[in-house]
Amino acid sequence: MSETAAGRLPGDLTARETIERFIRVDHAGEYGARRIYQGQLAVLGGGPKGDLLRHMKQQEQAHLDRFSDLVVTRRVRPTALLPLWHVAGFALGAVTAALGEKAAMACTVAVEEAIDEHYAGQAAELGDDEADLRASIETFRAEELEHRDIGLANGAEEAPGYRLLYNIIKSGCRVAIAVSERV
Amino acid sequence: MTAPPERSPERDAALLAMLPHVAALGWTRAALRRGLRDTGADPLDAELLFPGGTAALVEAWTDLEDRRMQAAMAARDLAGLRLAERVRLAVALRLEAARPYRTAVRRAVAVLALPGNAGLATRTLARTVDAIWHAAGDLSADFAWYTKRFILGAIYAATLLFWLRDDSGDDSATLAFLDRRLADHARFHKAQLRCGERLSRWLPGEAAG
Repeated sequence: MSETAAGRLPGDLTARETIERFIRVDHAGEYGARRIYQGQLAVLGGGPKGDLLRHMKQQEQAHLDRFSDLVVTRRVRPTALLPLWHVAGFALGAVTAALGEKAAMACTVAVEEAIDEHYAGQAAELGDDEADLRASIETFRAEELEHRDIGLANGAEEAPGYRLLYNIIKSGCRVAIAVSERV
Repeated sequence: MTAPPERSPERDAALLAMLPHVAALGWTRAALRRGLRDTGADPLDAELLFPGGTAALVEAWTDLEDRRMQAAMAARDLAGLRLAERVRLAVALRLEAARPYRTAVRRAVAVLALPGNAGLATRTLARTVDAIWHAAGDLSADFAWYTKRFILGAIYAATLLFWLRDDSGDDSATLAFLDRRLADHARFHKAQLRCGERLSRWLPGEAAG
């Protein structure tokens, strides 16, 4: 497929609507991700994992800057739920961090895995006419996977109730993605 | 932003041609046909170009004026202006372009004021303020995106209504009105910032991250 929304049927989203949704949800996602790391840092910032978390937060900030830029230049409405993600992201980060370093890493793994699937889907839908956006998304996706690996290397799977925590957070992310695309 | 109405050179030309007739005939197919006849086009194109009738004509015209305002802003050198000054300039340019057709604007406002057109009125206003912020080079991508549009929407709507009754001839009374509204908002915003500063002494800030 060389063009975005090339196989579109009447009633499907137009290329413009597709791009709007992509940028809106990605902007919201990076915004939330930054807030999660801020929440974790508020609890673990002074601990041994502080620098690791700061590094990941900086990368999320770079992603957010890129999508903020796209919101302005491509004239996309950002999601109206930003205040919700502002609070919910911070709360998720702080609560998992309060459960311990390993639970914080489990949260990172769950979130980044959801985002990886989501970015992979987007990159597959974008055509050559949006090569720039696709390249950004692929770069960011690689970095999100790196975060997941950092989480796994730091004992995410040893967190108490890892499966439960992982599934709750991952399905929460999927809901957040579906909502942020539209609202 | 909701998708803009269809844009084409034919529709733009037809709108500009019908404008002189709107004062007498309203935003009707009759005025559109008269305009088309003036430019030598086939008056029967009226239904073809604007199948939606009055509401579609008003929507397409506000969209055309938004685009003309953006083009006029793009032609200006905005480098030395603050954001509020750019917004003021954008509103001034938009009103200046519409000055010869004030009655047409009044009749368009009357159409948009009908209860059945409330959704359309909101959409056109939202597009106009979005165009103004974009032309002014606003970079907000957080929740301020919404608050800025709400605030300017209120200010712009009030300014437009004032402008309809402005007898100064060069819009100077309207621009003075607009300046007072922008100053009101600046004062409110400063108070808001002061409150925020006071609060942040008591609450843990984001600085932790």
